[in-house]
Formats: sequence, C-alpha cells, structure tokens
Amino acid sequence: MYGIGGTIKELKCWIHLIKDKDAIDHYLAMNIKGLSKQEAAAYRNSYKKNICIDMLRQGYHKSFSELFTLIQKWNALREAAGPGSAIWQQKSLEEQPDKLDQLHHFLTRAEAAQRAEYYEEVYNNQLNLAYCFNNTEDKWLRNYFYEQCFSTAQLIKIDGGKKEAEAHANMGLVNEEQGQFMKAAEHYETFHQLTLGRMWNDETGHTYNSLACEHLWRIYTLLADKMLENKEHQQAIKTLIKAFEMAKKGGDKKMEGEAAYCLGLAYHSAGEEQTAIIVSLLNGKVTEAIAYLEKFVTVAKSAQLSRSLVDACISLGDIYNERGNYYKACEYFNQAFEAANTLTDLPLVDETKVYYGIAKGHNMMVVVNSHTDAADHVSIEYLLAWKENRSDMCTDPFTNGNTVQAV
Amino acid sequence: MNVQQLVPLALPRGRPLSCELCGGPAQLRCGACRVTYYCDVDHQKADWVSIHEKICQLLIPIRTSFPFFNSEKERKHGMEQLLHRQKHLVDLTHKVAQKFVFEGKHKEAIPAALHSLRFSIDTCGPDSVELVPAYLILAEASTGLGHLTQAEEYLSQAQWIVLKTSDCSNGIQSKLHRNLGLLYAAKGNFEESLYHLATDIYFASCAFGTHDISTSGGYFHMANVFFRQNKMDIADSLYTEVTDIWHAHFSRLIRVQSQTLTTLSCMLSIHRKCFILNVDEAQQAEASQVLNAILDIKEQAPKQQPAKTANVVHALAMLHYLILDLPKASSTASLYSLDSVPLCRCITDAGWMLCSE
Repeated sequence: MYGIGGTIKELKCWIHLIKDKDAIDHYLAMNIKGLSKQEAAAYRNSYKKNICIDMLRQGYHKSFSELFTLIQKWNALREAAGPGSAIWQQKSLEEQPDKLDQLHHFLTRAEAAQRAEYYEEVYNNQLNLAYCFNNTEDKWLRNYFYEQCFSTAQLIKIDGGKKEAEAHANMGLVNEEQGQFMKAAEHYETFHQLTLGRMWNDETGHTYNSLACEHLWRIYTLLADKMLENKEHQQAIKTLIKAFEMAKKGGDKKMEGEAAYCLGLAYHSAGEEQTAIIVSLLNGKVTEAIAYLEKFVTVAKSAQLSRSLVDACISLGDIYNERGNYYKACEYFNQAFEAANTLTDLPLVDETKVYYGIAKGHNMMVVVNSHTDAADHVSIEYLLAWKENRSDMCTDPFTNGNTVQAV
Repeated sequence: MNVQQLVPLALPRGRPLSCELCGGPAQLRCGACRVTYYCDVDHQKADWVSIHEKICQLLIPIRTSFPFFNSEKERKHGMEQLLHRQKHLVDLTHKVAQKFVFEGKHKEAIPAALHSLRFSIDTCGPDSVELVPAYLILAEASTGLGHLTQAEEYLSQAQWIVLKTSDCSNGIQSKLHRNLGLLYAAKGNFEESLYHLATDIYFASCAFGTHDISTSGGYFHMANVFFRQNKMDIADSLYTEVTDIWHAHFSRLIRVQSQTLTTLSCMLSIHRKCFILNVDEAQQAEASQVLNAILDIKEQAPKQQPAKTANVVHALAMLHYLILDLPKASSTASLYSLDSVPLCRCITDAGWMLCSE
C-alpha cells in the first residue's frame, strides 16, 4: 500500500507541473518532435483543400472564390460532355498540383493588387495566368483569363489605353480561334482605332498599328471566304476591299499582293456569275477588276510571286481578249509566258504559249478583217502577200497607219 | 412554479437523486411534473426560466417508468412513442437554446443546451454525430459567457465525434470549425482562429456555394479577426463581400415576393400575408446582428466610403421590410436617403417599398 501511495504522490506532483491544456501543448511542442495539429491536418487533406485553406487564412477570399468556381466549372464541363468525350479522360484541375500552385501564386498577387487598386499589376498577373494555360487541354481556362484581362484593362487609364488595346487584340484572337469572326472583327477594329497614331511596339519590334492592320486583313479575308461560300459576292467584295486597304496600311508587300489577288479573283468570279444578267454593271465590275489586277501585277512583280503573277496575267489577258483589246491581251500573255518560264512548269508554259497564240491570232484577225472588208485592190494584194510569206503584219509600211487605227 | 422540499434520507437506498443542472445531491422537486430535481432554488429558477417552463409536462411520460403493456405490438408502439417524444424534446430544446444564443442571452441558453445534449445521448448514444450540434451550442454559449476552458472541452468532444464519423456532412464540419475559430479568437490566438475559419469557409463553400448566406457568417467572423489584427484592407474587402451576399439574398426574396404578389393580386389580402414570412428566425437574427455590426464599423471608420455604407443600410432596410417591421424599414430608408450618395436605384426601391404596403 505504501509503495502505491508513493507512486500516486509522484504522479500528483508531476500533474501539478502541467496544469492546463495550453501548457501541455507547449510542453509537447517543445520536447516531442512530431506534427502539430495543423501539420497533421495538412497531411490528411487533399492538395486542393490545403491550397484553398492557405489562401483563405491569408485573407485572399476572392482568389479562393475564383479557384473554387473554376474547379466547379471544369467538373460541370466534364459532366456535360459525358463519358467517351476527350475531356472525360483528362485529369481534373484538383489533381494537378502544379497548375493549382500557379493559380495560387498569380491569383493572390492579383487580389492584393486589386485591393490597392493597382490595376496594371492585376492585368499583368491575369495575363501571366493566360500564358500559363496556353496548351490544348486548358484552352477554356486561358480564354477565361483573357476575358478577365479584358475587363481589368477597361479600368486602366494611366497608360493611355495601351493595355486596353492589347486586351482587345487578345479577345480578337480568342474569338477568331472559336470561329466567331464578326466579334473578332469588332475587337480588331477597336484595337486598330486605339493604336492609330501611337508608337507602341511589341517584343518583335512591330508597331501595334501594323499588327492591327495585319489582324484586320486576315479576319476580313476569312469573313470574305465564308461569304463567297454562301455566294454573297457583293458583301465579299466589299470586305475584300477593306482587307486590301488594311494590307496597304500595314506596309507588308506580300500581304498587299495577296489581298489584291483575292480581290481580283472575287471580281472575276462575280463577273462570270453575272454575265447573263446586266451587261453594263458587268462592264463596270470588269473595269475595276482590271484596275486591281493591273495593280496586282505590278506588286507581284516586285514581290516575285511568280505563280500568282502567271494566273493574274492570264486572267487579265482573258479579260482583254473578251473585250477585244487584243494588243493588251498579247502583252499580258507574253508576260505570263515569261513568268511561267521561270517556274519550269512545262504544262503551264504550254498553256501560256497557247493563250499567246490565240491572242496574236485575234490581233491579226482584226487587220485581216479590215482588209477583207475594204475589198480594194491594194488590200487584196497585201493579203495575198501576207498569205505567201506568213510574216508578221506590223512590218508592212502600207497598212501601218491602218493597223494602228484598227487597233 | 410549485417547488416541493425533499428529504434525501427518505428516498430509497441506491437511488440518489441529482440536480438537473449541476449534478449535486437534490433537495427540491418541481411540483408541477414531480420528476425534475434541483439542489437549490437558484438552479430551479434558472432552469424554469430557460427551458423547464416549456417542457415541464413533456418530461413526465419520459421520466416515469415504462408502463406495462399486454402484447408485443403495444410494447413496440409504446417504445416508438417514447422515442418520438424524446426526439421532439431534442428539437425543441435545441431551437430554444439557439434562439437565446442569437439574442445574446448566453446564461439562459446553457440549461436548454444541456437538456438538448442529454436527450440526444438518450436517443442516439454517446458517439453519434447528432450530438455535435448540441455540443456546438454549448460551446458557443460558454464562449459568450467567457468560460473558455469549458467551451474548449465541449468543442474537443465535438471534434472527436466528427473525426470518428467518416462521412460527416460538410455543413456540420463547417459549423464545428466556425465555433473553433470563434473560441480561438476569444482566447486571442488569431493564427489558429484564422486557420479554423478558413476551414469553415472551405466546407461551407463545398456544401452551399461560395456566395451563400451560410458561408457569409464565416467571412464575417474572419473579417472581425483581421479587424482586430488591424489589417484594414482585408477586413474591408471581407465586410463588403458579406454585405453583398446578404443584399443579393434579400433582393432575390423581395423580387420573388413581388412576383407572387402581382400574380395573386386578385386573391384576398389575407392570403397575401401568408407568403411574406420567408426569412426564418435564425437567419433574421444572424442578418440583423451581422449587418448592424458592419454598419457600426463603417460609420466609425476614419475614411468614409459612402457607396458601401449605403449598401449596408439598404440591405438592413430590406431585412426590416421582409420581417414586416415597417416602421423600422421606413426609418432606415429615410436615414439612407439623407446620405449624400445619389444612388437613384436604391432610393426608388426604398420609396417603392414604402408605398407598396
């Protein structure tokens, strides 16, 4: 009994040293190297839960809301797509720690900047997030952050609208990728307007304005292609004119040339379609087509777009041929022939030779006809002489003046 | 309030009767039900005021011995009835305790909460997850009274039950962590408090969504902690979030209500009144407490933000309208239009509220 009493006394002394729970915790923390309660909980929780709790305890509740909503959105997208779709196999955001880390890093910094109303910093962080998710399976995430950048950029007034312009350009790219060309065009137009006259440059050294022109040219060409598919020639031509103007402003010769070529083709096809309908209108169109095609030829020569040059020259020659302007037709077919020679495309060369021959023939026909019509002694003798020696007409001094008049 | 004296020696041996509240030897008995015992008049009075008045007669069938039934069917029926009565008591005591806690009457809440706990143990056993709400109310009341160690004990019990229950719902976990956060904040341990409140918000978001009124409580308490730590910008951001959540909630209720009113305009006005009660008492008490606290803080802030203050006042006015406290609604609305902020939408809304009734 005495022994037991003794031990109980000792225990009581020991217990008196550690009176309450805080002291016990402190004692444990100091002397026993283990996990604290929080560390134990962190070990048990999922990564997503740890990150969320971490964000919240530092006061970044908006970042938490955004992250939570994004994860829910992904789950909803996956549910909507159903099993068997591409997204079903992908790993959820919750299970990708590196992506969660990046979101944590940039979202918290963006929120801190937002509280201080330092909107440029917010924009930069959101843009960084957009760049992080620039891969095929996270496109929706990237587009989401581009949209966020866009709304933030509206609030930045200090830099004179540079970030706003950038945001418009990015939104245009997003819309273009998704196939919404009209919206993309609107954004690019705003981008162009905002950058007019400003000397902002991007990393490659190009001015924003030239970039704007390039984007606008591309989007107008795409729109016009769709219109052509729907047989809306009028609309297509108007859009292509806009594209051509943009290409000119952009200053890139290749762009300009391609724009001019598309325009010419559009006019040409429009012309073919409407031959049966109204001739005067058709003529009017053809004149414009000719004007553009001639411009294109000059541009193509300087840019050395041989194939397009050949095609353009052939088209021009065709038009002149139909209109009866055989001299010009000959000229253009000649040019086409020379260009085709450089391409070493034998069938093409032959084709151009044939066209040239046809034009030359027509050319001669005019003179022959005039002579046949005249039906006087001199002409008949001349005709006989020509038939005998098969030479070119132009060498005849007698009919030189007439030839010029006839043509 | 009939109180009868007991002579402990006269009681049969082996049946010591203990006080309802403290467990000490009983000297008194309630005359009305004759099954409830107390050690002295103070405890009897406290219990009567808190809960005994409401459940006096309901205790009789539970605390007397089980009557003799002739058949198995009757016995089963008797057991079910007993269980049903006990469950009813659990609910009733819980609601009463919660109401006291929201009104700030922590002392009166404790007997009710203790009863709730005891009846829960009787019905579900000592380890069931049903006990957690009772423990949480006890903890909250104790924190309110300043008995922090007692509160911590109750919360530890609750936490242990939650840890052992593998499929505990997110809502209950959220409430547990909220109470833990409040406890640590009362103790002054802000880091722990923030950790638990963060966990609370996480669970509440999983259960109800990030912009629900149940989550807003977590934001509010977190904002208080940051406020005490003097991190004003974070606190401000959180208060704005809470105000926005309540504002949206009330706007939605008013919109639904006005739609039902217009569709039922042909019906009698009596029916109209029935639809108006869509803010329950607990929500009402919480909203009132939270919004008034935020308004006080905003009014005393060194840097005035009229737009945000106006938002808070508008939310309060909507609350008073929803609970049919129209004089208060009109007074808050008029206070609001005296503010120098030209938020026309809100003013027209306030005017509409005054005119529609």
